[in-house]
Amino acid sequence: MQRSWLLTVLAAGSVVAGACASGGTGGGASAAPSGGAATGGASKGEIIIASDLPVSGADASDGIPTQNGVQFAVESTGTLKGFKLTWKGFDDTVNGAHDPQKGAQNVQQMLNDNKILGMVGPFNSNVAAAEIPVGNRGSLAMVSPSNTNDCLTKPDFGGKPCTDPNPKNLRPAGGNNYFRIAAADSFQGPAMADYAYDTLKLTKVAVWSDNEIFGKGVADTFQAEFIKKGGQVVVRQDFDTKVTNDWKPFLTDAKSKGAMGVYAGATSGTKACIPRAQMAGIIDGPYMTPDGGVNSQCIKDAGSNAASMYGTVAGANAEQNPDAKATVDAFKAKFTKKDDLGSYTFMAYDCAKIIIDAIGRAIDANGGNMPSRQQVVTALGQTKNLKLTTGTYTFDANGDPTTPTMSIFQTKSGDWAFIKQFGVGGS
Amino acid sequence: MEQPIAAGRAAPVRFRGLASSRPLNALLLLIVVVVALLLLTRVWGRGPGYFAQILVYGFANGSIYALIAIGYTMVYGIIELINFAHGDVFTLGGFVALALLPMFGVTESQRDTPGVILPLLATLVISMLFCGVVNVLIERIAYRPLRHAPRLAPLITAVGMSFVLEGIMFLWRGPFFLHFPDLLPSARISIGPETSVGVKELTVFAIAIVLTVVLSLFIERTKLGKAMRATAQDRDAAQLMGIDINTTIALTFFIGAALAGAGGMIFGLYFNSLSFDLGFSAGLFAFTAAVFGGIGNIYGAAIGGLVIGMVQSFSDGYFDSTWTQVVIFAVLILVLVFRPTGILGMRVPEK
Repeated sequence: MQRSWLLTVLAAGSVVAGACASGGTGGGASAAPSGGAATGGASKGEIIIASDLPVSGADASDGIPTQNGVQFAVESTGTLKGFKLTWKGFDDTVNGAHDPQKGAQNVQQMLNDNKILGMVGPFNSNVAAAEIPVGNRGSLAMVSPSNTNDCLTKPDFGGKPCTDPNPKNLRPAGGNNYFRIAAADSFQGPAMADYAYDTLKLTKVAVWSDNEIFGKGVADTFQAEFIKKGGQVVVRQDFDTKVTNDWKPFLTDAKSKGAMGVYAGATSGTKACIPRAQMAGIIDGPYMTPDGGVNSQCIKDAGSNAASMYGTVAGANAEQNPDAKATVDAFKAKFTKKDDLGSYTFMAYDCAKIIIDAIGRAIDANGGNMPSRQQVVTALGQTKNLKLTTGTYTFDANGDPTTPTMSIFQTKSGDWAFIKQFGVGGS
Repeated sequence: MEQPIAAGRAAPVRFRGLASSRPLNALLLLIVVVVALLLLTRVWGRGPGYFAQILVYGFANGSIYALIAIGYTMVYGIIELINFAHGDVFTLGGFVALALLPMFGVTESQRDTPGVILPLLATLVISMLFCGVVNVLIERIAYRPLRHAPRLAPLITAVGMSFVLEGIMFLWRGPFFLHFPDLLPSARISIGPETSVGVKELTVFAIAIVLTVVLSLFIERTKLGKAMRATAQDRDAAQLMGIDINTTIALTFFIGAALAGAGGMIFGLYFNSLSFDLGFSAGLFAFTAAVFGGIGNIYGAAIGGLVIGMVQSFSDGYFDSTWTQVVIFAVLILVLVFRPTGILGMRVPEK
């Protein structure tokens, strides 16, 4: 069984590799100009900001809109203190899903290119766990728009010390090169639990997870908070979503125990919203997912039962910020398709802006010359009260935002609609 | 040699395993009893209504496995090959149906209107024919040239064909989960306070029963069916008697794949989701079902499919789905220890 799995992965992987090569999803290659010094107004040279996101495969519905944010931020900035800024995109997808090893290879590739001074990404926490040590050895500035696993930056999670991953092990060279602006999982599960109990008035829910680090983590924290609030979790199951197609026994079990709604600790890549379609006729109630389900794939998977779904996003919504209106409008003018804008597009935009800001200060510190990677990382750590589209950012010693924000979305007429956002306290 | 395809007529099976090592078997029996008691207490605790509901889901789930398992068993019966591409032919059936439905102008909003019946039937027939033709081509390309090669060679080409099909489906629709429109009637018949049978489940079950019965009648009552049985029994003798064995084998592949194609479409309609690599796990469980029922025996495959589907639903419903695969294969091991040839199986000639 194990061996045949390996065979599948290998063969499908080679298919994917072929598809990527022909499909041109590695858009970064063409985005990187071959010449060294730019011919335009900038004359000091070129600085590249990279991104590493899952832009093909099942996660593309999250990855592409996020990458658009990075591309837009870099290209709309254009030049920085005499240097030409360009963007180069990397794809960490293998066999249709985000892949930690591929991510680590991508970071290694970035390190080999002297012009790359920082990267936005990765999207997924398990990819981050593989990438951070590689980037750390090369002092590459990394800022993630969407990594939410607590153990990437904090020494403990849910009252238990982090073992694997653990922030110390992830940083073999000592210093910190990894920053993020998303709120951690320890906020995300509870945020939905509070909303379910207080606003949706649910008292009994069923919880399932995809049994992965992220999915199980948010399901556990949701469950703990919901019980603390006084609610009941009547059924809890962890699924191997690779082989599970039938959620009806689980849903029936939940129904017979009085569940009024279902929380799915999963992402669209692990069938987060497929049970929603099967829920029709079994449980008539809301369906809740973490940020991995707040995308267009989830709505497609839910089919005709897509109404009344709720999701958390571990960041603020730029469209609610009046100061960001001009930026949002400019983005929409350039990226016109509905699927171009995702829940993490402007989080990624802000990540790129944070890196650009840090590089700017590093250039100044280096007397107007090309800064070293370590100088950029140092400047990044000193980011203070930087006002951007999704918030005002200052990093703490761990690399976390000091004032993370959580937002809640609901499906309305076939799309995710913003409901509210709130600060989730310092970290 | 005994007849590998013998719809219904099972040779007497001896309890070979039991005689060999009594302590081990006693231990296994003990485990079975403990698990059964555990299950019973859980079943008792949840009441009959819930039990009946899980049973209904198990039947629907198992019907789909049965349709796939029959194809595995037919092909094994006639040329003793495990057609690994079979699970992917099943997925292909779903993909073809998914592509055809919009062509007939069917959308999810038309659910519960009589207008969808005809397009659904047409889609079912076309998917079945398409999968049948594809499987015949696979047999022609990958298995027939190797018919006299060592047994391992066609096994490897079968694995290869499986990857080819998965690759084609990947390139066709991408790696995403594909939503399959929910078109089966939404009506449910309540048969108790906690139990209801959906017209959905009845449809799935009915299609599986009809196809299985038609197939067994075909094999038992028609000349071509007789040719299939003869080829399965002794290929060379059948050829000497004037049976065109190439056509007969191709026909077997065609029928097996048509059933799998029907299964793929029903899977989509029932679970509302497909993905290109679905055939791997579904095929594995269906193969397990075929072995469980006694590989080579069509009724065995049908029963095996139902049992595996049932075990899966009960494991999901009463234990934890994390354990479902373990439970399924534990049941398989137990059955094979006590009945090495499967439930309705016969000893397969050893060469």
